[in-house]
Amino acid sequence: MNFDVISPKTTPELLNAIYDNQSKNFRIGAGFTDLINQFKAQETEGLILINLAQLTEVDFKKISENEINFQIGALTTASELIDNKSIKENFPVLYQAANKLASTQIRNVATVGGNICNVSPSGDMTAALIALKATCHIIDCDGNERKELLSSFIRGLKKTSLTKKELIKNITIPKNFSKNIKSGYEKVGSRKSMEIAIVSLAYHLQMDDKGVITYAGVACGAVAPTIPFTTSACEFLTGKNINDISDSEKEEFAKRVLSYANPISDIRASDWYRKEVLFNISKTIFER
Amino acid sequence: MMKVIGKSHQKLDGKERVSGKAVYGHDIELPNMLHGSILRTKYPCAEIISIDTSKALSLDGVECIITANDVDVNNIGYKKDHPILKKGTVNCNRDEIAAVAARTKEIADKAIQLIEVEYKIKEGVYDPFEALKETTPRINEFGKGAEQFGNKNMAESFHYEHGNLEEQKAKSKVIIKKRYELPRVTHACIATSNITAEFNNFDGRLTLWSSTQVPFLYQRDIAHALKMEPSKIRVIQPIIGGGFGSKLDMHPFEPICALLAIKSGKPVQILYSREEEFIASPTRQPMVIELTTGCDENGKFTFREVEIIKDNGAYTSWGATTPFVMMQSYSSLYQVPACKFDSHAVYTNNPFAGSFRGYGNPQATFSIESNIDLMAEELGMSQAEIRLINANYKGEITGQGLHFKTCGAIPALKTVIEKSNYDKIMATPNTGRYRRGVGLGSMLHVGGGAKIYRSDGCGTTLKIDDYGYLTIVTGSNEIGQGSETVLAMIAMEELGIPKEKIKVINTDTDVKPWDVGVHASRTSFVAGNSLLGAIKLIKEKLSKKAIELLDVVTDDWEYANGMMRFNEFEIKLDKVVREMHFASPHELCMVNYFYEPPSKFQDKDFKGDVSGNYAFASQAIEVEVDTVTGNVRVLNVHVSQDVGRVLNPVGLQGQMEGGLATGIGYALTEEMIYEKGVLKNPSFHGYKMLTSTDMPDVHFYPIETYDEAGPYGSKGAGEAPLIPTAAAIANAVSNALGVRFYSLPITAEKVLRALASPTPPKEGLLREAKPVTKHQ
Repeated sequence: MNFDVISPKTTPELLNAIYDNQSKNFRIGAGFTDLINQFKAQETEGLILINLAQLTEVDFKKISENEINFQIGALTTASELIDNKSIKENFPVLYQAANKLASTQIRNVATVGGNICNVSPSGDMTAALIALKATCHIIDCDGNERKELLSSFIRGLKKTSLTKKELIKNITIPKNFSKNIKSGYEKVGSRKSMEIAIVSLAYHLQMDDKGVITYAGVACGAVAPTIPFTTSACEFLTGKNINDISDSEKEEFAKRVLSYANPISDIRASDWYRKEVLFNISKTIFER
Repeated sequence: MMKVIGKSHQKLDGKERVSGKAVYGHDIELPNMLHGSILRTKYPCAEIISIDTSKALSLDGVECIITANDVDVNNIGYKKDHPILKKGTVNCNRDEIAAVAARTKEIADKAIQLIEVEYKIKEGVYDPFEALKETTPRINEFGKGAEQFGNKNMAESFHYEHGNLEEQKAKSKVIIKKRYELPRVTHACIATSNITAEFNNFDGRLTLWSSTQVPFLYQRDIAHALKMEPSKIRVIQPIIGGGFGSKLDMHPFEPICALLAIKSGKPVQILYSREEEFIASPTRQPMVIELTTGCDENGKFTFREVEIIKDNGAYTSWGATTPFVMMQSYSSLYQVPACKFDSHAVYTNNPFAGSFRGYGNPQATFSIESNIDLMAEELGMSQAEIRLINANYKGEITGQGLHFKTCGAIPALKTVIEKSNYDKIMATPNTGRYRRGVGLGSMLHVGGGAKIYRSDGCGTTLKIDDYGYLTIVTGSNEIGQGSETVLAMIAMEELGIPKEKIKVINTDTDVKPWDVGVHASRTSFVAGNSLLGAIKLIKEKLSKKAIELLDVVTDDWEYANGMMRFNEFEIKLDKVVREMHFASPHELCMVNYFYEPPSKFQDKDFKGDVSGNYAFASQAIEVEVDTVTGNVRVLNVHVSQDVGRVLNPVGLQGQMEGGLATGIGYALTEEMIYEKGVLKNPSFHGYKMLTSTDMPDVHFYPIETYDEAGPYGSKGAGEAPLIPTAAAIANAVSNALGVRFYSLPITAEKVLRALASPTPPKEGLLREAKPVTKHQ
């Protein structure tokens, strides 16, 4: 590996670095848990790395809230998410996803923005954020800003809507309108840590005080080129009482989730296994 | 009453290891050292038409390149069927074609890419059964299968039998015949393979900094490969980051590194990347086992008949000799009146297999213990009871001639059955998403070395200096198993010298006396006995001098706190030694001792008492199977092992937990996935070694049988903990689900496929169907 590193400390320095290198081959990195592996497998001669690890700008790092949403800086690490009480209380799906990611050492450096921009179909935090209908706040080196729903920001396998001028500053998650929630992240793999999901299911349901589901967000990982938000499965649940979902309704829900799956077979699991497990775990989310 | 032995002592080098101060092979840097890199074949089976190194040679920083045409060497390996560098043909995906030495690793790697090789790709043979067919071409041109075994692709073959098989078959009420398939797995040592070589062209001596487990055999093997005199080769072992049997054989990269050093005239170092470690280091032998076993109406075993086809890979390393251990288990694990054993290692274009902790025994034990469960089921007997009535016993001389002078088999079995609540879990109805099950597995392994070479011995030199410090120079090797700590403890116990004043020297063939190497769970046994012999001699020396100095008559000295005491007489050890050194008749306080175990060679029929003593163990493992995902989680491991006597409790616990981690991975997740001879998962991402977070609670109950052959009554313990683990887990999964698995690993996908099969077991009926007999 042989490449130049630029380590901006402020937002203007960062934007200038992006601006100045538009004609060159550059990559942006923060925790480097995926990027270094990619670099090992490719020619890095002439590559410029814009390193965000020394950026001091709080907007990129803090977790805050206002009346309508939570803001999570793109450089927030998985460990920081896990340690945040509001996240744990309000969004168990995100807490669990961050907690099931890799290992303590990796969680200490891996960032939310990195997890999103790596665009892996098995991204843990990404799946949770898609289920939560998170929005990306994007800035560019010309001073423009834009917002885009995460599920549309991801355009395909390893593809996002980001241009070469842009990067994600933070992510917002709409606040729960109910305290009655059912939220979690199921990650299927053969070991408890240092695992990449063979199948994952992120779900976040909000119920009124009678138990009627008023919001359903369900996304499934590692079963398609991107992580789908399972709209038809979510629509099926909306309006049903969480305490009163029949076995046939669970089956129907699982079938609808499964309809979004188009998995591959690889050394870790066959497409058959991925579908079978996705169907199975989809049925179980009502049981706990 | 022991003061030191039986109490926990931290590893001598523990602090250096955890603080990063330990010097591994990777940390060695010599002046002007070059870095080596190896070009491996692009295809697992091909003819080499041409090799062009000219572009690589012209790269700045490249100092030398070697191919088969540049070197005068012998073939290597147990059957001498393995060229160090390949020419003409390549036979498996780790085959070495050329090697480069350059100023930096990056340059060496780049040069490798610039070497142009023209291949004619051939269709390889990747299935040993296919390889045995007459129409299949000969795979290894040096193999002597046609002359020796009547099949050109047979690399090695073993036959063993005892008892009257037909008579025992006729007595059998139940006969179970099953076919088991075992995967290829790797040691996954945390330190990747490494070697540094330096050649002195003035005196023709070669120094190798190597992670070998067998330095004296290695010295001989390197010498044979390079056509050198063994004594001109000095082997220095830096701290070794994992052995597990992988370093029992010499592999091509080692003489290659020496050749690069000889040719370049500069020191050369070769370090494997993790990917290379997966691709190019030895594996456990994969095999298909067809096992037929019987028992009479009372559950007494009658016979075992087994036929094994092993995938030897393209060349022959120690993996082909695992039948030495496997036939012990088939013939002698539990009482077996008749046994017939055939094993054939068959050449294929897969990578060759080496030795791995357990040496064939995990495979054998998996098949034996699965068949035992099946026989019990068929007979309507409890799985615990059938094991207890057939268990090995003290005084038993088995059909193979193994003599169990002490035997903890029955206490070990009883302990794990009781402690695991085996009967209760077996009887508990099983419904719902998570199914619990429990399984038993037992094992037999050598505990007092194994007489395979002309000597199974170990030498020790002791020196006490003017200041009362003791230096133990031992032939034995430390690969992390903790033997040097045990040696220090023995010296502390016997000579009363504190740990801080003891040095263990064990890393240099120019200094240390002969020893076979670290294998067969032998080190604490042979090196411990050797040290005790040496201590007896040095005590005689000290006693003689102390008698003279104190003017007393006794040979009953107490050694404590650096002093020798007898009644009111006492003298410091260092004082005694100073008087030896500096007063007439001026002598050294040094002794040499060589210990050879009382074991015997086996005869041509593989019969004989091959080890100084034998280790026995049982495991009862509790699992929980998630029927939604198919994942099997190990909840509790109850392991009871006849260790003779516990020497260092914390070290022993470490051996237990480490062995179990490997055993659990073997049972559930680890597998090298090959497609037509090419490894598809050469990384820890794809190769699922379990992590510390997956470790279950380990409940260890040592059984002390005080075997007189071992130091303080101890037996070898290193390999045992992983041997019955896969067997016990497979039995537990079968108990949980009512579905049995005949191949490893029992992956989540295999479990789900079995559950989704047309005849799934009925919920809740599994356990009630099985009778549970209480036994006391």
